[in-house]
Amino acid sequence: MAATESLSGPNDLDDRERAAVESLLYRLADDEFVIADRYTDWQVRAPTVESDIAIANIAQDELGHARLWYDLLEDFGHTEPELIWERDPETFRHSTLCELPFAEGDWADAIVRSYFYDEAEHLRLEALEESSYPRIRDRVGKIVGEEGYHREHAENWLRRLVGGDEGRERVQEAVDRLFPYALTLFEETEEDAAIDDLGIRTRSPSAMRAEWIETVTGMLTEIGIDARAPATDEDGRVSTDELPDHVGRGGDHTDHWATHYDEITNTYDELGRDHAARLMEDPDDE
Amino acid sequence: MIWEVFRQEGAGKYHTHCGNVHAPDREMALMFAQIQHGRRKPTHSIWVTPQQEIGEVNEDGATFGGTTDKGYRWATQYNITAAAEEVADSESEQADAEKERGRR
Amino acid sequence: MDLDTVKERAGPRQFSPDDDMPREYREAATRMIQFHANSEIMGAYLERPFIREAPSLDRKLAYSAKTQDELGHGQLLYRAAESLGIKTREQMLNELANGEGKFLNCFHYPMESWVETPMIAFFVDGAAMRRQATLKRTSWEPYAHAMDKVVFEEGFHIKHGESILKELATGSKKEQEMVQDAFETWWPRIIQFFGPTDDDSTHHDFSAEVGLKQMTNDELRQSFLNQYLPKAEKYGLEIPDTPTIEQDEDGNYRVAEDELDWEEFFQIAKNEYDPGRGQIDSRKRAHDAVEWVRETLDEYETTASGHAPQAAD
Repeated sequence: MAATESLSGPNDLDDRERAAVESLLYRLADDEFVIADRYTDWQVRAPTVESDIAIANIAQDELGHARLWYDLLEDFGHTEPELIWERDPETFRHSTLCELPFAEGDWADAIVRSYFYDEAEHLRLEALEESSYPRIRDRVGKIVGEEGYHREHAENWLRRLVGGDEGRERVQEAVDRLFPYALTLFEETEEDAAIDDLGIRTRSPSAMRAEWIETVTGMLTEIGIDARAPATDEDGRVSTDELPDHVGRGGDHTDHWATHYDEITNTYDELGRDHAARLMEDPDDE
Repeated sequence: MIWEVFRQEGAGKYHTHCGNVHAPDREMALMFAQIQHGRRKPTHSIWVTPQQEIGEVNEDGATFGGTTDKGYRWATQYNITAAAEEVADSESEQADAEKERGRR
Repeated sequence: MDLDTVKERAGPRQFSPDDDMPREYREAATRMIQFHANSEIMGAYLERPFIREAPSLDRKLAYSAKTQDELGHGQLLYRAAESLGIKTREQMLNELANGEGKFLNCFHYPMESWVETPMIAFFVDGAAMRRQATLKRTSWEPYAHAMDKVVFEEGFHIKHGESILKELATGSKKEQEMVQDAFETWWPRIIQFFGPTDDDSTHHDFSAEVGLKQMTNDELRQSFLNQYLPKAEKYGLEIPDTPTIEQDEDGNYRVAEDELDWEEFFQIAKNEYDPGRGQIDSRKRAHDAVEWVRETLDEYETTASGHAPQAAD
C-alpha cells in the first residue's frame, strides 16, 4: 500500500476519518477486554499453581492493552462508563472467539484459543506499526512487547498437550470447534474500506487472514492436529458457510455474551455507580 | 564438565551464585567448590549444579514485568497512607524495586 | 538433631533442609505451613469472582493481580512445606480438595457482594500481614524466605483493600450503609481470625519452643486491634457491640471472647461448616477437572521429550 499522509490528532479528524478510527479502536479494545475477562475464569482454577500465575499475567496484559485502546476512544469524549460499564452489550464489537465460555477443565480450549488469538493479534499489531493515525502508532510498540510471551506460552503448551492421547483429542476438539470463531477476528464491517484507504492500518483483514491460516494450519499439522484451510474466494474472503452463526464484529453475539456482560457489570449496577475508579496515571503521562 | 556454584554466607541467608568449577562429577565439584569459593568469604553452605541443567531467559528474549503500565501491582500507586508499619516497609521495598527497574 | 538441641538452638532462620530435624519439628512445621499455603489458595478462591465483578478497569486489573499474588504465595509456601520432607505439594493440594486440608476461618464464609471485599482484602489481609511480618523470623529457613517475598508483595494488597474501603466509605449513602452492614457481619469473624486465647490453643507451645511461631495469638490480636480498629473508625465504620471491646488504661484492648461463637469456629476448623464445605467442594471440582492436564505434564516429564535437547557447550 502506498504511504499515506499522516492523519492529525483526534480533534481535527473529519467525520469519515473519525468513524474509521473509532471503529478500529472499538474492535481492538473490545477484543482485548472480553478475552482477558474470559482468561480470568482460569484464575485459581488452572491446572497447576505456576500455570495459574502465568495465565493471570496474560489476562492482565490483555486488559492493559484494552485500557490503552479505550483510552484513545476517550480522546473523542467518551468516558469509561460509556465505553464499558453503561454500554449496550449489543454494541460491543469483539469477535465471538473472545466471548465463548470455557467448559470446566477445558484447558485445551484456553490454549488453542489463545494460540489463535495471539497469532492474529501479532499480525494485527504489525499492520498498525506504520498506522497513519499517530495516537495508535505510538502505542503499538508497548503492546507488541508483551505479545511475544503470549505466543510462546500458547505454542509451548500446545506441543506438550498433544504429547498424550487425551490432550491430543482435546486439542483436536478445540481446534475443530474454535477455528470458525477465530476466522471472525478478521471479518470486515462497512468501515474497513475507509480504515485501509486512510492508511490507519497497512494491511487488509483478508490479507492478514490468509497469512494467519497458513501459519496456524502449518503449525497444527506439524504437531499432528488436523486443520483444514477454509474455502476462500479470490479476494481472500471466507465463504459464510465457514463462519459461525454469530460473528461479533457487527454486534451480533452469542447468548453467552449477554450473561457475561451482566456478571461484569453486576457490582457497578448493584452500587448504582456513575463513575469508574482510576488507580493509574493517564497513559499519556506514563 | 562445568558446575555452577551457589554460596550461602550464613544460616538463614540466601544461596547466591558466586562462580563455577570444572569437575568430573557432583562429589568432586563439591570438593573443589568449597576451596575455590568458600576458603575466604564467610560460608555456611554451598550448592553445585551442572551448568547444562541451568535454563536461562534474559532481557533479549523477555520483557520482565511487561512493557505496559502495571502500576496497579505496586503499593506505591495507591494514594493512601500505609495502615501499619509492615505495610509501610513493604511499600518502601517496592519503591526501591521500582526505582531499580526504572534505572535500567 | 534431638528435640532439646532444637529448642536450645531455635532462633530466626536457624534450621534448613541440611539439618537433620526430628520428626516432631518437621510435622509441626508442615502443619503450620500447609495451613498457611491452603489459606492463600482458599482466600484467592473466595475472592476470584470479584475479578470479573470489579466495577472499574483499574480495579479489575488490581483484583486480578492481587489474586495472582496469592497463588504465588501458595506456590512459595507449598515449596517451603515440601522442603520438610513430610508431604508433597500434590498430596497437600489433594488433601485440600478432599476436605482434609485446613485453612483460615474467614475463608469459609460466603462472599456475595463487592462491599464485602475490603473485609477480606483490608482487614483479614491486614491481620494476616501482621502475623506474616513476624514469621520472617521463623526458625524454618525456607518458610522465612517465603515470607520475605510474601511480605514484600503484601503491602500492595493491604493498600488495594483499603483503597476499596475508602471508596465505599466515602461513596453514596447507599454504599456507606452497605459497607457498614458488611462490616457488622464480618467483624466477629475477623476478631476470631487469631483464634481463641492461647490457653485454648493446642499447637502453640511447641511451635513457640522450636521457634516456628514468633508471637502468641493474644499478642497478635492485640497488635491488630491497635492498628486496625482506629482505621475502621477513621472510615466512619461503627464498631459492632458484639463482642464487647474495652480499652484498659495502658491502651490495650480487652475482647469479651465468650461473646463470640466458638462452636461455629470449631465447626469451621473441622471443615464442617456448610458454606466453607461448598467452597471446598467447588474448588475440588475445578481441581479434578484439570487433573488430565497434570497427568499429561507428568507423562511428558517422564518421557525423553521432557528433556529438551541441549546445545553443545
